[in-house]
This record gives sequence, structure tokens and C-alpha cells, in this order.
Amino acid sequence: MTVTRLLAVSVLALAATAATAADIAVIGGKTDDPFWAKIKKGLEDAAMAIERDGGSVTYLQLQTYDNLGPDAAQLVRTAISQGVDGIVVPNWVPEAEDDAIRAAIDAGITVMLMNAGNIDKARELGAINYVGNDEYQAGLAAGRYFGDQGVMNVICVNTVPGAANLEARCQGVADGLAEKGGTAEQLPLPATSFGDPTAVAEAIKSTLLGNEEIRGLITISAGDADSAAIGIQQAGKTGEVMLGSFDFNEAGLQRIQAGQQGFAVDQQPYLQGFLATSLLNAYIEFGNNLPVAPIATGPGIVDSSNIEATLAGVAKGAR
Amino acid sequence: MTDRTAAASPALARRSAGRAFSPGSHLRRPEAGALLGLLAVTLFFLVFGGTGFLQPAGVASWLNVAASLGIVAIPVGLLMIAGELDISIGAMIPAGSMTVAIIAGHGDQSIWLAIAAALALGVVVGWINGTLVNVTGVPSLIVTMGTLFAMQGVVLGLSVLFTGTVSVALPPEESGPVAKFLFGQFIGGAFQVVIVWWILLTALYVFYVHFSPWGNWIFAMGGDRESARNAGIPTRRMMVLLYILSATSAAFVGLCQAILFNSAQVSAGMSYIFNAIIAVVVGGVLLTGGFGSVIGIVFGTLTFAIVNQGIYFTDFDRNWSSLIIGVMLLAAVLMNNVFRRMALNYSPKRT
Repeated sequence: MTVTRLLAVSVLALAATAATAADIAVIGGKTDDPFWAKIKKGLEDAAMAIERDGGSVTYLQLQTYDNLGPDAAQLVRTAISQGVDGIVVPNWVPEAEDDAIRAAIDAGITVMLMNAGNIDKARELGAINYVGNDEYQAGLAAGRYFGDQGVMNVICVNTVPGAANLEARCQGVADGLAEKGGTAEQLPLPATSFGDPTAVAEAIKSTLLGNEEIRGLITISAGDADSAAIGIQQAGKTGEVMLGSFDFNEAGLQRIQAGQQGFAVDQQPYLQGFLATSLLNAYIEFGNNLPVAPIATGPGIVDSSNIEATLAGVAKGAR
Repeated sequence: MTDRTAAASPALARRSAGRAFSPGSHLRRPEAGALLGLLAVTLFFLVFGGTGFLQPAGVASWLNVAASLGIVAIPVGLLMIAGELDISIGAMIPAGSMTVAIIAGHGDQSIWLAIAAALALGVVVGWINGTLVNVTGVPSLIVTMGTLFAMQGVVLGLSVLFTGTVSVALPPEESGPVAKFLFGQFIGGAFQVVIVWWILLTALYVFYVHFSPWGNWIFAMGGDRESARNAGIPTRRMMVLLYILSATSAAFVGLCQAILFNSAQVSAGMSYIFNAIIAVVVGGVLLTGGFGSVIGIVFGTLTFAIVNQGIYFTDFDRNWSSLIIGVMLLAAVLMNNVFRRMALNYSPKRT
């Protein structure tokens, strides 16, 4: 008697779930991390349309980054147990997360990879797509930008030589500029300089004074660009050497606005949250599927042409 | 070279007091090896890099680096002479720069309030370091490692809480012309004003360490803490004072950086831990304490800065920079050791 009633209730509940719109879980980083705050803003904006149709979007965040892979895998299993229809997940540590992601797909949940991973991984696991950024592509875009501006001799200042993603950025700059007929070289700084803005600025100044041919300079982080701006000024090359940076901070945007920095390369985290969530919803709900794969949210270039819109986006928490 | 005569280490100066000038007594000073190390690296880069790095722009290149490091290295060196370490400076530099940038840049408050807050933070953390070392008896490396991580957490947490970001801008108009002039200008368009602060502070340290009783207290603490206390030296109060000096100096360097670079990052400063200790050791301070001099630390800092920046005036492949830095510093320390042995084994003739 009780068992039959329980069964009936669960069948009803199942039917009810199937009838309503998609419930989506998004797994991501801490919301006090400024980068993830922008991704969260994107998925919250996407959630408005999903909730209007009766669906839901839940953000499952890591509490710390100390145990990245296993914690993310645990969050995937949490989402499975909540009976969601779709999961958006960054594939930070494939070794730790792949099993959980496969378990989700086996349970009939549609998965979208976001922010970390690549399209090959998405296909291997059976996820529908990858929405994110590629460091090498970001470097290529920066190299081409220099080339298009007629800046043909560039150094890529790497304050953490050996880090794979940063090496990929500098390699991309070199290859992108080579397409346009220019050359870019990496300037690896010794570990004793890392985090010492004066040492970075002076290294850049000396390099610019030692090589009069250099016309462009790009830093691998927003903070290094602050040092580079002083280094260029101290070499007396303001306006002569174009400064670019990967990522940006407030001071960098102010320099772009004031014309003291050429551009910044952005991976546009807002779009990662917004597109991954709404595309997954459209796939589950309407059977829509974009033929574009992977979906690159970066590189976006911030320069004098779009600085005002970017600053407006910063004020709204989306940039 | 007049500063060499002005900066005798008390332990040795007292011993040689009253004797006539002799080259030997100069060679046995703690800074003698450091000076020779400095001359050797200068010669090295003259040979391999040409005179470029002795031109004004080149001098500025290493003097700017030396100044920021030097302001931190002297109090760290005094702690090492007293037999202790302070690695929390790695967190105090960004703490100083972020405090100034958040209060004056993000909060639009007075730059002077911001500077006072940054220095006050240094005093508080220094007091905590010194008190913990005194009270717990835990090795200072461990104590200050604790405050290093704790302060990193505090700086990151508060920055995200107040500003929502980890990098805060401090535009020149927020600093104001006076603060920019005092802490963030380039003298002659190339020399950071921090160099002037370094020289002034060095003069103060030389006076207090080598020409006042305080200096002897520090050396005595590094030699034998128990005997020093039994001799009536207020070792605990001195310890707290030294930690306050190093934390506040680090916060000061941080605030100067924020005002100069118009921006502050939570992550900067960790390289200063190693670099300061290297500068101090190259400067002839004994890792176990009890031996060293302020001028020696200054020479060590200059040596480190020249080795670090001289690379950019040579044609060496930049991938080998760290190797060259490591080898040159090791050579400088070895040279030092020879002179220290001479100094410590020397016994003057009794008269």
C-alpha cells in the first residue's frame, strides 16, 4: 500500500520534472574571485530567460581552490543527485573530473564544458561543446593587432618563464606577428624580478635602451603592464613603443583611455557564463545546436575604439 | 671610500680602537669582502656589457632596484645579526601598497591618511611578530612564515571585500603632487626618489647601530641571547623594535611603489624575501647572527642589484639570466667568507 503510493508519487514527480523547463547546474570558482564574479554575472543574465520559461539555474561554487579537481568532481556528482537536466562545468583537472562528467552523461544529463578544457575533450566525453578561451589564440590576436598597427618588432615580457599557458601566449604573439611580416621575441625575466615592479620596469627600460629597434611590448599580466608603462616612460619611449597586455586592471583601462597603452587582450568571462548557460538551455529545451565548435569567447581586444563601452561594462560588473 | 672608515662594526672597532691606521684593520671589517664583491661584479659587467650600465640611465637602472630592496634589507639584516629572520616582509610590501591604493585610490580618502594607515599596519604586524617570537620561543622563521601567509590572506580578503578586485589603481591625481614628489617622483627623470629615502635611512641606521649602545645590544643578542639579557640588555623590547622596523620598512616600500606605479597588486612582493636575505648575506652578515655591518648590507644590496640588472646590458641569452645571477652571487659570498675568516681569526697583539 505505502510502497504503491510512494511509487505513484515518484512517477508523478518524474512526470512533473519532465514537463517543466530545464534545470541547469553551473559549476564554477569562488564568487569573491573577480574573474568568476564576471562569469556568474553572465550566467545570472542567462538565467532570467530560462526562469521565465519555468527552468532554473543553480550556481555550485568551489569553497577553495586547494583541491580543485576532486572538489569539482564532487560538485558534478552533487548536481547529478539533484536530478538536473544540464550541467555546465570547467574541466580544470581532467584526470579527476572526467569520471564524474561521464557519470552525468550516462545519467542522461547534457553537459557543456566551459572556461577550462577544449573541444577535443568535449567530444571525447560526449559534452555538446566547449565555451572558453585559448591562450595561444589570444597570443595570435595580439600579434596580429601589433602587425595591423604597423608595429613589427615586439617583445613579449614573461615574468614567469616556463608556465605553459604564458609560453603559449608569447608563442602566439610571435606567430601572429610573423603572419604580418614582423618578429616578436620573448624576454624571460629571472624569478628574482617576479613581483618587484621596479625590477620589471628597469629590466624593460634597459632592454628598450639596448635595442632601439623595438616598437611594441606586451606583458603576460595586467600588473606587469603597470611596471612596463613606467619602464617605457623611463626609456623615453612613450608614444614610440606600443604597450599591450594580456588581461587588464583598472589602471590599464585608464592608460588605454588616456592613450598611454595600445590595447589589452581579454578572454571575456561574462560571455563564457552567458553563452554556456543559454546555449545548453536551448539545446535541452529546443534542440538548438550551434555548428560552431569550440565557441571562443576570447580573445577580445580592448583599445581606444571600445574603451568607453568596456568601462561601462566594468561599472556593471560584466568586464 | 670615506664611508668605510665611518662604519666600523662595534665588536671589531672597539678591539682596534686606539691603534694607528693600518690596511689590515680595514680588510678585517665585515664590509670589506662585500665591497670587493661589489667591485668584482662591476668589473664583470664592464667587461661583458660595456660602460652602458655606468651611464646615468644605467646607474638608475640598478640604483632604483637597490633602493627599494635596501630599505627592507637593512632591518632584515639587523634581525639576522640579532639571530632572527623576518620573511613576513613578502606580505607586508603588498599590504603597504594595497592599503594606500584602497584608501586613497578606491576610497578617495586623503593620501596622508592612507600612508599613515599603511605604516601603522606595519607597526602592528611587526609588534605581533616580535611578541610572538618573544613569548612562544618558536623559531622566527616559522613565526614570520605564519604571519606571511596570514597577511597575504588578510590583504586578498580585504581587497576583494572592499574593491571586488585584486588590483587597485592609484591615479596621480589621487596621490596629489606632494605625495608624488616625496614618494613617487623620478629625480632627473630617471632616479626614483626612494633612493634618497634609502640614503637617509642608511645614515640613521649607521648612527644607531655603530655609534650608539643600541648597536652593541643587537650584536650581543646575536652572539648570546642569555648573556645579553643577563648583562641588562632589554632583549625582548629590542626584538619587538627590530620586527616593527622591518615590517614598517616593508610597508613603506610598498606604499612608495603604489604611488610611483599608480597601481597596486595583492600578489607582489614575495621575491623580496629571498632577495633581501641574499643582499644581507652577500653583504657579509653571518647567517647565524652576531656579525655584520650596515654598510656591508648596503654593498650587498648594490651587488645584488647590479648582478640582477647588469644582465640587460650584456649580450647573454636571457634564458641564462638566473644561472648567471646565481653563480655571481655565490662567488660574492665565497669572497666574503675569506675575509670574514680573516677577521674572526685575527687577534691583535696585546700591549
